[in-house]
Amino acid sequence: MQDVVNQVINTSFGWGWPSWAIALIGYLIVAALLFGIAPFQMLFLTLYERRAIARMQDRIGPNRVGPEGMFQPLADGVKIFTKEDIVPTAADQWVHFIAPCVVVAPTMFMFAVLPWGPGMVPVDMNLGLLFFFAISSVSAVGLMMAGWASSNKFALVGAMRAVAQMVSYEIPAVLSLLAIVLVTGSLSIVELINYQGGLFISTRDVASVPDWGLGWFIFSPVGFLAFIAFFIAALAEGERTPFDIPEADSEIVAGYMTEYSGMKFGLFYLAQYVLNFLLCAITSIIFFGGWQGPGVGWLYAQAITPVNPQGGWVFNVLAGVLGVFYFLTKTYGFFFVMVWIRGAYARLRIDQLMDFGWKFLIPLTLVNIFSAAIWVGLTKWGAADGLAFVEGWSPLVRWAAAFGVTLALNLGAYLFLARIFAQSQDERARQDDDVLEQLTNVA
Amino acid sequence: MTTETQHGSVIVMDRRRGKLRAGQGLLQGLRVVWDHWAGSFRKNDNFSKIHGTFTVEYPEERLPMPQAYRNMPVLLFDDESGHELCTGCYQCQRICPPQVIHITQAKDPVTGKMVPAATEFIIEYDACMSCGFCAEVCPFDSIKMDHVYELSTANRASLTMRKAQLNRSISYYTGIAPGLWAEVQAGAMKKLQGSIKRRPDVIGLAASLTEKIKARRLELAAAAAAAPAAAAVSAPAAPAAPAAKLTPEEKAAKLAAMKAANANKGAAPAPAEAPVALSPADAKAAKLAAIKAANANKGAAPAPAEAPVALSPADAKAAKLAAIKAANAAKQAEAAPVSVETAVATAPLDAKAARLAAIKAANAAKLAAEQGNNE
Ligand code: SF4
Ligand code: SF4
Repeated sequence: MQDVVNQVINTSFGWGWPSWAIALIGYLIVAALLFGIAPFQMLFLTLYERRAIARMQDRIGPNRVGPEGMFQPLADGVKIFTKEDIVPTAADQWVHFIAPCVVVAPTMFMFAVLPWGPGMVPVDMNLGLLFFFAISSVSAVGLMMAGWASSNKFALVGAMRAVAQMVSYEIPAVLSLLAIVLVTGSLSIVELINYQGGLFISTRDVASVPDWGLGWFIFSPVGFLAFIAFFIAALAEGERTPFDIPEADSEIVAGYMTEYSGMKFGLFYLAQYVLNFLLCAITSIIFFGGWQGPGVGWLYAQAITPVNPQGGWVFNVLAGVLGVFYFLTKTYGFFFVMVWIRGAYARLRIDQLMDFGWKFLIPLTLVNIFSAAIWVGLTKWGAADGLAFVEGWSPLVRWAAAFGVTLALNLGAYLFLARIFAQSQDERARQDDDVLEQLTNVA
Repeated sequence: MTTETQHGSVIVMDRRRGKLRAGQGLLQGLRVVWDHWAGSFRKNDNFSKIHGTFTVEYPEERLPMPQAYRNMPVLLFDDESGHELCTGCYQCQRICPPQVIHITQAKDPVTGKMVPAATEFIIEYDACMSCGFCAEVCPFDSIKMDHVYELSTANRASLTMRKAQLNRSISYYTGIAPGLWAEVQAGAMKKLQGSIKRRPDVIGLAASLTEKIKARRLELAAAAAAAPAAAAVSAPAAPAAPAAKLTPEEKAAKLAAMKAANANKGAAPAPAEAPVALSPADAKAAKLAAIKAANANKGAAPAPAEAPVALSPADAKAAKLAAIKAANAAKQAEAAPVSVETAVATAPLDAKAARLAAIKAANAAKLAAEQGNNE
């Protein structure tokens, strides 16, 4: 963006503005774009979710406002804007007021490092992944503020649950990403996507593989297990069913949002859906190659880039459109899976949630990190690192060996943990039955 | 999996406790939901199927209502006579749990006595809870539950329904609940006939029809006054028959006239003067007899039975006039068979007068018959 602005101002008009002004204008334009896109995503996703879940329940869903209910979110938005804003007298006014902003702001920040297409990233940070997840945790503070300031027991219980859940599920999420980071050797999100060129096998692992933009991490055992763990953790982070415990309507009204009305409530909703979008987006970026797909890499190679200034601008546009198309298709696909899961499963109990997170997901992701280390060792290391015996193998053999070993390790770990977890759950269920029997005196 | 116990077969869920569950159950759950999602793009019009959307897109599509569906109560009136079935018995007002029915009993304007009809009948639809008690308790099957459910309004007062708004014809009700009406029809209609006998003038007529019937009666009276002599056979008056023929007083007159006619038929050979001579006491009776004679004189015997009924003049004066003219004509008559129609044609509208005249006519006819037989 800054290149374009520089081109227009300093070359076309010849005004000779300083580089900081150019940078400022460039970032402002991008920020304005993103602030437009984020609420739009939320509006679209609410409609998308309602239509999809309706289909799963043999209904049709909102289809009255505009063609196929297209303007339903707008109507909802207008409604929520015109609602009265009620602040309880017992509430801590300022904290109550600031909490929605603290929840929304991080989700906007997260857009800063999100690549939409080849070369289309607001800020290519070399710590992008860390930034993304560090910022996402900030919203837990906002939730706690909201729950505490409302001085409402449901709100407080909801906030406690939200924070407990977020904190415990950040760990498996980050651990599963750690495995990927081990493989790529970089925390940059752009680098992460670039790694995933190829066809089934990444070109970085085996250079002879044709680059069809399909060398996604999901095709390796390490990536697959990380994907499962990460997606489950993402559901918990985004407070999606079956982990929507913080706002379990049947138990605690609306959790930390109980005392919010009007547009403040709308902001929480906005934050939630934007966060869901971002989690789906980051899932598709990390495990499904983001904008990677057949054709994008080739198109981008012909485009005007710092590496290739002689390219044609048509290819920039084509690569961008195709890349964004792939990216959004995957993202909305994951959102569909989220809705699908919501349609299928019942809400967990808070203790089941904690059990599952700490006793199943975290051990599994720890094993996965071990697998990732083996993968890196077998595909990248050589004699210098003390693995002389792989030196003579061809890249494909090395890749195959890594695939086999990690697959066996991950599958074994999964089955073992599943068995232990199932046994512990059975034991718990048996105890529950015993207690019930004692309480009711009925066999 | 079903298991047989001594109480019958019981479904036992195999929860696979203690077995290795590596997520198959979760996947099965996803499978079920997926099938529903994929199946939902078809419409499910056969309710034995599990998949497909069931949604009825309401404003465009509507489900047919079951007969016994009940929304708000309405009052029925008889299509043919225009009489309401309600007698103002207060049963519904008494049973209504939220007490939203308000009835004013009709009174005879002359005698001040109760008449089996309601002059005003109000139901506050806004507070009615559609319990249907009123319809169930009504001994005259007058109040029935309507199927119209689109009653939303921005104006609460417009939900206070008066009698005119509550009136529905029986044919409307048979349209929405034919079976339910068929069950009660015989009894309801019989009771209605009983009520009609006790209702003077236009009391108890459906409000939408009251004015119409009144106007029609006046019109008929005028027509009869204008052409009294030709009335019995005149064609233009005939089409009006269905509208007026069913008012109770006319029915009573018709009945009496028929009896008279039958008697007269037996006494066909009797001379025209005989009936006149036989009822000297009462002037009216004499006139009636004279009319009969006149008719016979005219030789218009084969006139259709219904037509004259339609022509009954509403006005007593007109009737008298006609009677006199007929009497004059009759005086010139030698002998002729007496026909039914004339008597009816001249029956005065006023119920009492009509009945009186009819009775007298009947008496005269009876006497004539006896005379004829005797002779
Ligand atoms: S339906 Fe029930 S509430 Fe309504 S008028 Fe009849 S008795 Fe009253
Ligand atoms: S509607 Fe039925 S119950 Fe009610 S006053 Fe009339 S006749 Fe009686």
